[in-house]
Amino acid sequence: MIALAAILAVTGATVGLGVYGVRIARTTSDLFVASRAVTPWWNAAAISGEYLSAASFLGIAGLQMKIGSGALWLPLGFTAGYLALLLFVAAPLRRFGAYTISDFAEARLRSPRLRALSACIVLLIGGFYLVPQLKGAGLTLGEVVGAPYWVGVVAVGAVVALNVALGGMRGITYVQAFQYWLKTFAIALPACLLLLHLGGLPERSAMFGAEYPRAPAGGLTVTLDEPVLATFPEAATVTVDGRAVRAGAGAEVRLPAGTVELPAGVAVPVAEGTDAQRGTDWAAPVSDTGDASPLFVYSLLIATFLGTMGLPHILVRFYTNRDGPAARRTTVRVLGLLGAFYAFPAVYGALGRVLTPELYLTGETDTVVLRLPEAAWPGLGGELLGALVAAGAFAAFMSTASGLLVSLAGTVTHDFRRDATRGAPARRRRFQAAALGAMVVPALLALVARELDISVLVGWAFALAASTFCPLLLLGIWWDRLTARGAAAGLVVGATVATAAIFTGLVLEPGGRSVEALLTQPAVVSVPLAFATMALVSVAGRPVRRPPDPELLALHAPEGLGLDDPARA
Amino acid sequence: MSAPRTPRDELAEATAHGGLYLRRLIRRQLGLSVLTLVAFGGFLGSLPLALYLLPGLQDVDVLGVPLPLLAIVVPPFPVFVAFGWLYARRAQALEQEFRELVEPDG
Repeated sequence: MIALAAILAVTGATVGLGVYGVRIARTTSDLFVASRAVTPWWNAAAISGEYLSAASFLGIAGLQMKIGSGALWLPLGFTAGYLALLLFVAAPLRRFGAYTISDFAEARLRSPRLRALSACIVLLIGGFYLVPQLKGAGLTLGEVVGAPYWVGVVAVGAVVALNVALGGMRGITYVQAFQYWLKTFAIALPACLLLLHLGGLPERSAMFGAEYPRAPAGGLTVTLDEPVLATFPEAATVTVDGRAVRAGAGAEVRLPAGTVELPAGVAVPVAEGTDAQRGTDWAAPVSDTGDASPLFVYSLLIATFLGTMGLPHILVRFYTNRDGPAARRTTVRVLGLLGAFYAFPAVYGALGRVLTPELYLTGETDTVVLRLPEAAWPGLGGELLGALVAAGAFAAFMSTASGLLVSLAGTVTHDFRRDATRGAPARRRRFQAAALGAMVVPALLALVARELDISVLVGWAFALAASTFCPLLLLGIWWDRLTARGAAAGLVVGATVATAAIFTGLVLEPGGRSVEALLTQPAVVSVPLAFATMALVSVAGRPVRRPPDPELLALHAPEGLGLDDPARA
Repeated sequence: MSAPRTPRDELAEATAHGGLYLRRLIRRQLGLSVLTLVAFGGFLGSLPLALYLLPGLQDVDVLGVPLPLLAIVVPPFPVFVAFGWLYARRAQALEQEFRELVEPDG
């Protein structure tokens, strides 16, 4: 009940801030980029709030608990992506003075068709990123208050769509900034209080020593909602619905739905898809094999490093900076804000290994952040902290979904049809209609695709972004010989290769870890391919233009010289 | 009417000369970005390798946590900020130099 109240409070505050924002949102410029007058600190908090999705709030700790400390390379890659953005994209893109990435594509290369192609890719990435957010919302609401799956999907979808339609980007900037601080508070405070309450880290052998996670003194009772194919790391006798089941070390046993009782001290069996690990292996960030092998770690770092740069809902935020230097200052602050957040998920992953080992058996390690407070601190303290964490998770879904929806609605209204002749009210109505409409398809998909793996969809969006917009931006900003044909060819090749690799991985499910890493993280291959295609087609297609391109001037000339009137003049 | 042409005029009118000024700025900015990228890549890229090649670090405890685990949770993020801050400062300085070149009196 406390958790439900906390979730409702977050939702109310989100809507309230959105309504406050609408008073200021008067023009299309306001709606799209908040009149470009947002200060670096607000912008940095908003960017961070938008970026920290369910995958960061729940996923990192869950993955760490499941596969080991190798999962902690993820937040490093997520954050490092912003350094790449800072070095190559932030200031020039802001100076160029375009609203969306499709605007950039068209204005830089003078090709309306390239704009349409980019807009299609924006819709694809945004849509596929939106589905797992909504799905996560449905699952979380079910976990916290026992609501049916569709309630969470519909509730979050409706709130976000209304908020975006009413407030536009101006409202959303404040909402996102608010949600960054809420999320950081909601993950940091319980982590610190739990450590204080427990008097430091609990018995360390299961975390960092030679032990498997074990049932605590007094035994462990686990309720299985559906049958689980469990692997026993050590020989054990457990009770299933009152009936004794004996399993040898390493045995795979199909446990039926029902109540499983583990006697005190028994090593907890793990669900299919999880490898039982001793503390020493679990704690090592890099090891010889598996999910922490050097190949996997480097592949992951490269993919996240490049994928972040290509996310359209992040890039659109850089247009809300006052000027190029402000865009740089904003990005430096983002690095700090993300770092402050990412210090904490590891606490949950480690504590969860000792305090909620039953999640290994149910396979629900993704819920460790939600479950941990009450498991570690039975009573009112744990319940309050659990409510705070649930509110933070909800903020994570809503903020990322809002950012994506702004991007999608902006693309629908702005990129596919020219409407310079129409007035601002008509354009605002179209933006509002697009915001509502753009939520319908992903929400329906989320309702249907309950079985689809969240990480597959998120990974697909990251890989697609890295293989399309990353080369388009880098070459478009820094290479004066890029042509529209080259860019289009590279976009198509990058998108096709990334998509094909992931679907091949889905269908084939290859056994080899390195093959799997390459297929599920194809950015390592598809990004160089896209770069090469763009460069080769550009060089082959057209002689060098006479210098200097006015577009390059607009990208790189510092402000205040009267030179920064872009190509459109 | 026949005021001397400043580099700014050259840029604004997109002459060959102006192109040279702009290209020089772009090259210097790109050089700075690539230099930072290499330094940063060296830092982040060497972390997994160092932890892989020195498994003995696993037995070193800091605040009750194995050093490799602690090493990737806390220290990299301030280093990220330091890289970003130094880069942004230098990029700003390069732009200031360009500004002074183009508008010597401004």
